[in-house]
Amino acid sequence: MRRYTYLWLMQLVTGVLIAVLLGIHMVMQHLEDILRFFGVNLNDPASWNSMIERSRQVIWAGIYIALLAVVLYHALNGLRNVILELTPSARTERVVTWAILAFGIIIFVWASYVPIALLSR
Amino acid sequence: MDTQKTEQITFRVRRYDPEKGSNPHFQEFTVPSSRGLTVLDGLIYIKENLDSTIAFRTSCRMAICGSCGMLINNYPHLACHTQIEEFHSNRLTIKPLPNFPIIKDLVVDLIPFFEIHKSVKPYMLRNDSNEMENPTAEFGQSHQTLESFLQFTYCIKCGICVSACPTSASDKLFHGPQALAQCYRYCADNRDAGELERFPVVGTDHGVWHCHLAGACSESCPKGVDPALAIQLLKRRVMSRTLGLGKKEPPASTVRPSAQAKPKLPFPEFTVKQG
Amino acid sequence: MRQIRPRPNYLGAGGWVWAGNYKLERYLYILHRVTGLGILLFLLVHLIVTTFFRIQGQAVWETAMRFLSNPLFKTGEYLVAVAFSFHALNGLRLILQELGFLMAKPIPPIYPYSDSLRKKRSWTMAIIGIIIVLCLMFFYDFIVGGW
Repeated sequence: MRRYTYLWLMQLVTGVLIAVLLGIHMVMQHLEDILRFFGVNLNDPASWNSMIERSRQVIWAGIYIALLAVVLYHALNGLRNVILELTPSARTERVVTWAILAFGIIIFVWASYVPIALLSR
Repeated sequence: MDTQKTEQITFRVRRYDPEKGSNPHFQEFTVPSSRGLTVLDGLIYIKENLDSTIAFRTSCRMAICGSCGMLINNYPHLACHTQIEEFHSNRLTIKPLPNFPIIKDLVVDLIPFFEIHKSVKPYMLRNDSNEMENPTAEFGQSHQTLESFLQFTYCIKCGICVSACPTSASDKLFHGPQALAQCYRYCADNRDAGELERFPVVGTDHGVWHCHLAGACSESCPKGVDPALAIQLLKRRVMSRTLGLGKKEPPASTVRPSAQAKPKLPFPEFTVKQG
Repeated sequence: MRQIRPRPNYLGAGGWVWAGNYKLERYLYILHRVTGLGILLFLLVHLIVTTFFRIQGQAVWETAMRFLSNPLFKTGEYLVAVAFSFHALNGLRLILQELGFLMAKPIPPIYPYSDSLRKKRSWTMAIIGIIIVLCLMFFYDFIVGGW
């Protein structure tokens, strides 16, 4: 019982964290015209130069890796819940849980390699 | 619809006879109906006059036993509690409740439903068996505490909430809104001390954590029990017990009756305002 | 007594989408699922783009950006922005209601019955209003920022 309760509680907590971190990311990438209206000039975050500048700062690498971790947990736990609602046998549940866990760890390691590698370039 | 005037209503009933081995199919009946007749009256008319092989459950005909739940025009109702006039149409489609196995025609198998209800231990669990078996006095309970779970005691176990729930539709191991609401009714009752026995049953993946607040159970409940509210309050309770937050109150103790005879009190005012 | 095997009668995953004429919150729940899974699919593609293409240098990145500024992909990005704003705000509403904060108090049922989701429907409508405002803001930026 404790395990399932903590899984659900982490889903809530990561949900709130994503609303903050991904909110910053979306506002930076997609709402720059509206921000310019308020006097905050971001210089086209999708362009190469602005990106290189950001990838050299530790704080941005930290934010992106944190965002990746919480999004992966929230999305894969959600996917696990959807799949478990469709397949009730206990053996299938264990297989699905381990498969999703392995998938999550692989993606996290692979996708966090790039921000760390780019820090030093 | 006048009381005197009768209209001919078409009842399209889903028939299924396992002994004949046929697939489910629809059969139409024409039923004369006037104002005030319920769907159950129409079905009884069919059984008495048109086709006596039609099977459905009925008992009290006043929405208190919970036998006659069925899908009428694609929404679960109690047949005795639903007027034919309220559909404003002269064509009614009647199907058995979904998410339960069908035995015959409109009769569904409720044994798994009651087994799950039993598994959440819907009775008082206390540590003092002496008092439970040889009671000496009443247990003390204020009417604020009563109000906090009274609504959920009105459940008539009709199964309509389980057929409305989207999670019950796909997850065969889900306990269903009825069992979870009854689990909360006993956990919130201050006379009961059995929380820790019930939480490992419902605090699992296929228990309370698969409820995602679709709210269809509360919307369709014919007695206004609001199981969705009970389940969310149960989640809050399981969460605070697991995290160790919140005060744990001891179960209610006995209250000796006072020496002089107390006058008979009127029913207390509800502390939560209606409307 | 002859044993009769009852016929299974589950609605299955189709019962998530439609099982009768229910009200708003049942459909918000399925939309929450659909947007969540949609964002997950987008995430996997997005991770490929921002890792493989970024680490291979400026030329590859700028070619990829030019390829992805096609109106079709821009519309897809806008749909992801809409899905995110719906999922985030509906999720915040679900967090509050599932912990019992935005729900009504238990009250002895007196006919006509009104369940607690219906009593708090004005909050749900307010949150949907905020979602629509966010979608319009994103739309403005997609139009002005250029297809």
